[in-house]
Amino acid sequence: MTIQNMITTFAGAFIFPFLIRLAWGKLVEDTGPIGGWLAAGFIVGTTWTLTHGVGFIVQTGAWIDMAWAAGVGLFLASAISGDDTSAGFVNAFFAIVGGTLGGFILSCL
Amino acid sequence: MKHVGTILGTAIAGMFVMSVWGAFAGAYGIGGGWFAGFAIISIMWYLNHYIGIHNNDGAWVDMALGIGVAGTTAPIFREGIQVGIDALPTLAIVLLGGLAGGYFAVQMEKVHSEG
Repeated sequence: MTIQNMITTFAGAFIFPFLIRLAWGKLVEDTGPIGGWLAAGFIVGTTWTLTHGVGFIVQTGAWIDMAWAAGVGLFLASAISGDDTSAGFVNAFFAIVGGTLGGFILSCL
Repeated sequence: MKHVGTILGTAIAGMFVMSVWGAFAGAYGIGGGWFAGFAIISIMWYLNHYIGIHNNDGAWVDMALGIGVAGTTAPIFREGIQVGIDALPTLAIVLLGGLAGGYFAVQMEKVHSEG
């Protein structure tokens, strides 16, 4: 991985949780649950075109999705805003269990 | 049972994202990838975070965490641990970038709420 690769990888990973944290809740607040559909297209879909579509996040092995960036970034944002970190870690554990189960089932495809 | 909801929600979201998304992108290019985000994440968000089967009674754990784990563990189950080790440089930078993005988003919220 070159320094240029590191710069685009970092930038792509920065943008995804940044957009979600600032815009997703507001879209839902303003438009109701349909805001979640707008966010799925215009936050996740559009950010995907940057991170994976044109390849800002440079891969070196097993797939590292932009979702990793959202997972840790949104957790940190919530924690520094005062939400309960220890309860959060319990939920994170089960999310990792579920993700691993999904990964295992996919490997059987 | 609340944790079972988290496991089911993240496993299902992870499977959709890490198989169907790539198929859309492969068939229709970048427009297919955009559409996959819209088609998959919309209903997965609705299930996990709007209905809320993904348990969240503490600092926010997004379904994205499980999705990221599914995407990385699937090739490790298929091809072995070496591909996981090879992925570490990308993983490290993505985690750092994600943490920075989350941190600065909160700083923007503070500036915005003061304004």
